[in-house]
Amino acid sequence: MQNPVEDSTAAPGRERNVLLLDLSKSMLAPLPDPQGGGPDRQKIEVARTAVFRILQDAATTGTLFGLVTFTETVRVPVPLGEIHRENLPYIENLISLLTPSGRSALWDALGVGADLLRMGTNGVQGNLVLVTDGWDNASQRFDVKPEPNGKVADGKVDLVPYMLPGHSRLGVRIIGIGSGDERDKGVDVGRMNQVVGQLNQRAMELGLPAAFSFQLVTTGTQLFAQMVNAFLDVGYEDDRPIEELHPEELARHAGNAARALKEPQQHATVARIKNAQVAGRSPSNDSYSEAPEIEVDFLASGPGGPPAYLRERYGPLGEVIEAYLSGDNERALDLIQKTQGFLPSVTRLYWEARIQFARRAVVEAARALLQAWGEAEKLPPATQAPILRRLAILQARMQNDKETETLVRFIDETEHHLSNGSPKTRERLMDLFAKLMELRGTYQLTRLAGEGDLQDAAVKHEAAVEEVFGLLQDARLDLATEGASVEGALDFIEICLAEMR
Amino acid sequence: MPEVKVTTRRRTSAKRESKPSVDTTRIAVVGIPASGKTTYFRFLSGHFGLNLPILYIPARAENGSLPLYGDLENDVALEETTYETTDPTDPEGSLETTTRYYVNRPMEDRRKLWVELSAGRDEQGILTKYPLPTKFNQFVEMKMRFRYAAPSGEAGSRPMELQTVDEAGGIIADYFTYDRLWLDSADGEVTEKTCRVIPHFDSWRPDRRDLWKRGLTLLGRFVCGADAIILLLSPGLPSLRDQAQQVNLARGVFRYTHARNLPLVIAVSKADKLKEFYSEVEQSVRERTFRSTFDPVDFLLRRDGAGMGTILIAQEGRGISAKEDVFLISSAVSTGEGHPLFIGESGDEAPTSGTVTMGVPVMVNTTLPLARACERILERRSTKEK
Repeated sequence: MQNPVEDSTAAPGRERNVLLLDLSKSMLAPLPDPQGGGPDRQKIEVARTAVFRILQDAATTGTLFGLVTFTETVRVPVPLGEIHRENLPYIENLISLLTPSGRSALWDALGVGADLLRMGTNGVQGNLVLVTDGWDNASQRFDVKPEPNGKVADGKVDLVPYMLPGHSRLGVRIIGIGSGDERDKGVDVGRMNQVVGQLNQRAMELGLPAAFSFQLVTTGTQLFAQMVNAFLDVGYEDDRPIEELHPEELARHAGNAARALKEPQQHATVARIKNAQVAGRSPSNDSYSEAPEIEVDFLASGPGGPPAYLRERYGPLGEVIEAYLSGDNERALDLIQKTQGFLPSVTRLYWEARIQFARRAVVEAARALLQAWGEAEKLPPATQAPILRRLAILQARMQNDKETETLVRFIDETEHHLSNGSPKTRERLMDLFAKLMELRGTYQLTRLAGEGDLQDAAVKHEAAVEEVFGLLQDARLDLATEGASVEGALDFIEICLAEMR
Repeated sequence: MPEVKVTTRRRTSAKRESKPSVDTTRIAVVGIPASGKTTYFRFLSGHFGLNLPILYIPARAENGSLPLYGDLENDVALEETTYETTDPTDPEGSLETTTRYYVNRPMEDRRKLWVELSAGRDEQGILTKYPLPTKFNQFVEMKMRFRYAAPSGEAGSRPMELQTVDEAGGIIADYFTYDRLWLDSADGEVTEKTCRVIPHFDSWRPDRRDLWKRGLTLLGRFVCGADAIILLLSPGLPSLRDQAQQVNLARGVFRYTHARNLPLVIAVSKADKLKEFYSEVEQSVRERTFRSTFDPVDFLLRRDGAGMGTILIAQEGRGISAKEDVFLISSAVSTGEGHPLFIGESGDEAPTSGTVTMGVPVMVNTTLPLARACERILERRSTKEK
């Protein structure tokens, strides 16, 4: 974790998020699980999941992130700054050690959160997400008015104008856990909505954009559903990371992959990976979609076993994957079937197919995968591309189609490797992959053409190869210092191009 | 041929012992590592010195004679200059050159000829001063002189020079693969910046980077001054990486010659590795009366003899004719007793039988690409003159 060096008076360049986590003793209380499949979870467990997810998002997207925890005392375990992926295990470990105790200085925590986001004359810039299960009972510095025209207690600062000085651009999202039916009193919905109302009114008076919300979640499942609208996949046991491949192995992989492009009849799955989807165009370039965006993540499983904190990070889906990775397929199947209703359909069906395939129930696996393809078609293009690739890899495995598996896996892993890098580099490489896929068409014409048309078809194919090769040369020169992943991808494309002859 | 004289020059240019004519026509030979450049030069220079027999498949109607002759005005048939980086740990180290001349003089012990021609890299007398893979610290500029179109240097024949950079197949492949970036004049200089297009270049040792840059410059200069190019392709490369390198080189050479309207001739070297071709060679050697009617074009284009079918079809009529400009060649030393060459992708030697024999050089079609390149250069010149 590093603190960004930013001018405190300049407008922020990157998204800035601060999470405020209630660590009062009541967070140890359980939340009901209406699915009835497993034991009730403590609120703190569910809240930790939220923190894990947000941290990981921050590490992936490069947004600035800070964490504030509060009991009677407000602490800043993670100051606002950039989260580096390599630091995640340390921070996650720290979060797993957070133990609830004492009372809630909720307003003081919001005040500290606002201070982290304060940028001189630009006011407070960024987003605050407060996760709490109760109401303030310990603040010493700040207070909120009990009613719009009321007054704050003597000696305390009115929180709302403190959080929203002029020129601010602040979003506040309050997630209240529990309905108040639990052992403790829970969140006071009415008063919490009133605070949000005060924030809205203050923003209106100052002519500031208002982004304040309060959501109440009463079950662990609900919170997971909110936090884990995700498609998560893990590598297969026999996967070998691309960066570990010897150059000659890389060449062999590329040669295999090229066969998937050269023989479409034998490798029909490739046709499902549309070129635009390989390129993974940004949603702004595509048609508008109301469908909620699914977060897609891929965890390469290494020799050290499954990644840590799967359950904490992904809730019920993490639990399914943990069971699957431990070889307990029956339990994994049982768990995935209970996720209907809150996991995205494509995720649930994909995992059902994967588990069934591991159980050697081929027919059931094929049926689930077919349904997953159908669900994937409904997704917005930006999230559709990586999900289709994961479906294609599973399908290729089910059909023992090594060539398609190699091709799609390479594209997928390259994109995954580059997800933290420059978006331009990523887009450029994925465009090259897309162009490579397009060569299937011209290559096929050279196979199908009659004697007289053969030369025409061959000339067209060679021209198409030359065009891609030209782009590859440019990429080689421009991306010379981008590291092993980029060079590996370029080598792969170059060898595939040579194979398309 | 070939008596070997070795002279060493250090950072200075000594007087050349060869006498290149000012109007010499230059033909560049290019190919990836192990595509047969060395063998091609050594065997051909042997032919020009000693008129070694050449086998043609399919058989040539006019008794196999081609208007290619040794350059009798010039004592030197083949000149090899080794450019070698000195020990990189030596702070004053720099590039050293060693020139070796092969002269046209029959040797008393004929067996020496075969030994010399078939010698492996260790036996070629090229010394490496420190333990690095050979091609990482040196390359060899090869020049072979001959005449075309009239024997014995009579009026009407033309001095020709065949050039390549040996031990530098990687440099050649890189030069043509990324052809848009290099030299466009015979006195240009390749820059460090453009070298970065080469995969993993930045991770190389500084001396290797420097050598590569120099090699690219040397190659670029003689390619810029070349009147024609002979592209050597090796069939049956076991490594996919090498195959890719070869295809990329071929595509680059097509682009290069097409853009400059340069005559291009393709020689599929080591053609004895192609089984159908090998069986023709074997039968021709065994039965002196056998006249092969093997069709190389059909074999290459339709039976995928060298894995280049589609590319060759696409280039047909665009600078080359598959029928007239593509040749299957082979140069090796026979073990005798009807087993002419080597066979199999693994390079297994054909078994010897009977008494131990001295071994004879067997050249199949070796002069054809060269003669065709010369012919095309002259055709091009006469068209220009008109």
